Amino acid sequence: MLERVLNEVGDMSRRAVRSPVTFSLLFAFALAAAIVAVTGGDPLAAGGEMFTGAVTGSGLRNTLGRSVPIIGMALAVSIAFRSGIINLGGEGQMVIGGLAGTIVAIYVPGPGYVIVPLAMLAGAVVGAVWGLLPAYGQTWLRLPILITSLLLNYVARAITGYLVRFQLLDDAVTLTSTRQVPETARMPKMPIFGGVSLSLILVIVLVALLWMVYARSVAGYESQMTGFNMRSARYGGIDVEQRTVQVMVVAGAIGGLIGTHLIIGEALRFIDGELVLAGFAWTGLLVSLLAVNRPIPIFITGMFFSALQIGGLAMQRNAGVSWRLSQVLQAVVIVAVACRLAIRRGERPSTEVSDAESAAVGEV
Amino acid sequence: MFEQILDAALFDSATRAMIPILLAALGGMICERAGVFQIALEGIMLAGAFAAVAGSYLAISWTLGVVFGIAAGMLISLALAYGTVTRRGDPIVLGIALNLLAMGLTGFLLPQLFDVRGVFQHPRIDGLDRIAIPVLSDIPWIGPVLFDNTILTYVALLLVPALWVFLFRTPVGLRLRGVGERPLAAETLGVSPTVYKYGAVLASGALAGLAGAQLSLGNVVQFAENMSSGRGWVAVVAVMLGRAHPVGVLAAAALFALAEALGFRFQGNGLPVQITDALPFVVTLLALIIARKRFARLLDLTTAG
Repeated sequence: MLERVLNEVGDMSRRAVRSPVTFSLLFAFALAAAIVAVTGGDPLAAGGEMFTGAVTGSGLRNTLGRSVPIIGMALAVSIAFRSGIINLGGEGQMVIGGLAGTIVAIYVPGPGYVIVPLAMLAGAVVGAVWGLLPAYGQTWLRLPILITSLLLNYVARAITGYLVRFQLLDDAVTLTSTRQVPETARMPKMPIFGGVSLSLILVIVLVALLWMVYARSVAGYESQMTGFNMRSARYGGIDVEQRTVQVMVVAGAIGGLIGTHLIIGEALRFIDGELVLAGFAWTGLLVSLLAVNRPIPIFITGMFFSALQIGGLAMQRNAGVSWRLSQVLQAVVIVAVACRLAIRRGERPSTEVSDAESAAVGEV
Repeated sequence: MFEQILDAALFDSATRAMIPILLAALGGMICERAGVFQIALEGIMLAGAFAAVAGSYLAISWTLGVVFGIAAGMLISLALAYGTVTRRGDPIVLGIALNLLAMGLTGFLLPQLFDVRGVFQHPRIDGLDRIAIPVLSDIPWIGPVLFDNTILTYVALLLVPALWVFLFRTPVGLRLRGVGERPLAAETLGVSPTVYKYGAVLASGALAGLAGAQLSLGNVVQFAENMSSGRGWVAVVAVMLGRAHPVGVLAAAALFALAEALGFRFQGNGLPVQITDALPFVVTLLALIIARKRFARLLDLTTAG
């Protein structure tokens, strides 16, 4: 009995050690340490600051707070990737939806329990419309979503920049920014860990919802089949075009929700260019790739990447090493994993590897 | 008279805008011909721009800056070649990740090495001079627009016929196209696809690196965070719009550059910068819609799952 348990544990740890993800993480950390050392920093001190900064003091609260946009944008992109749709327009969907939500929060009067959901709804709707554009571009005009969704990011930046600068500008401050979101229209904070946005619950609900959709529903099954092989999905009677449009609507809506949350729950002002700066849409994309587009692994990976960024900010404050190192780390992990395992967008990890792994486990 | 000067100025700024897009798109074209999907141009251009400024600052010489730009571009493209060719990884995943890597790395190194945030300007950074070509630069109107430019401008313009000859009139070019179009046939004839694909990806890295150098040492003499600002993606579109043909790619790059230059001019006429900045991307989207049949390969590639 004891022997069996020990064997199980042994197998698990052996698999974890051999896993390409473990290798890639170690590789990324080693490379990051080397970069810090070469550019004149102390890698050990930087690493220590990164760790303590992410989980101690206000670090835990900030890690939870930052996980909302990272996990949210990762969920948005995962829905598309799982259906084989390369939606690189998360940024635009987030920014333009975020501004729509902000406008509702600032200019529509009413009690918070009405305005906050209304603002989120407005953000979701406008984000969804922005996601519809490349979707119809692909289904009607046969334009690859990969390129149209990306180009639309720059158009969304321009439109929001124009609206903030010329229509919604707050003259009282020197920033190119809208007015502040009134106190009643802000996303409430939960009294845990010193105040975590209620949006975290929304993200957890989204994770659960998506898990159920993929595990139990026809829509989830069909959109996943579309991701495996679009041609055979179509042959099997799935309306691929309709699924593409639906997926982009949901992805855009989540982007708009997250954009709205970032203003009415965090920044409280829509400052021109500020939403793009933190790169949440792109961090989310990397999270989704690393988690092979699955909701629950996305939640865990998203928390980890959030901790990396919060730790990175602490490292910048205390060890003088720029937080951008966290972005380098994240990208290196994905490059390494893509080289090791050939992860693909809509597919499960290659069965060759798992077969080889189970064979190796069988021998022991 | 006044209008004439303005028109010459417009085409002058269009030439400046065109060169980085053209250099990167020519690199993308070589990859396309070799059957490698190259969407890391944006990041490579950014890394090239940073390395060029860093090299020029270190040696107070634009030559080393350009060399650094090329080297940085080739280094990133080496990762792409290893990942897609040797490890058979997903070119789209690798392209996206390498773009983000370049963004993170330049954003990290800027404060770390030069102790500045956002923009790095310094008298030590030696920019590319405009070199007027004797006689040719005296041609009215065309002369100052085309023949009074940086050395990289001439390199880019000469590469158009040179790459045409290379692709369609040399055995190596023929084999490169063979690897892209009929990989199995090429291999049967003893042509190694691996070697040619590595060569193509490294060449595209060098060219996109040059594009970055022109951006940060030619068009301006400074590095600004994310200064490639979408030009690499416009180059990806230019490759397909120009059907991976040197002359077609030149025409596509010229079209997008003209949109950028027109944006500048409208800006001078009082149109808000937020709107004029979007003009090249709107024109790119319109070009996509008009010439949509040319993007079928990309669509096949991205929807095959």
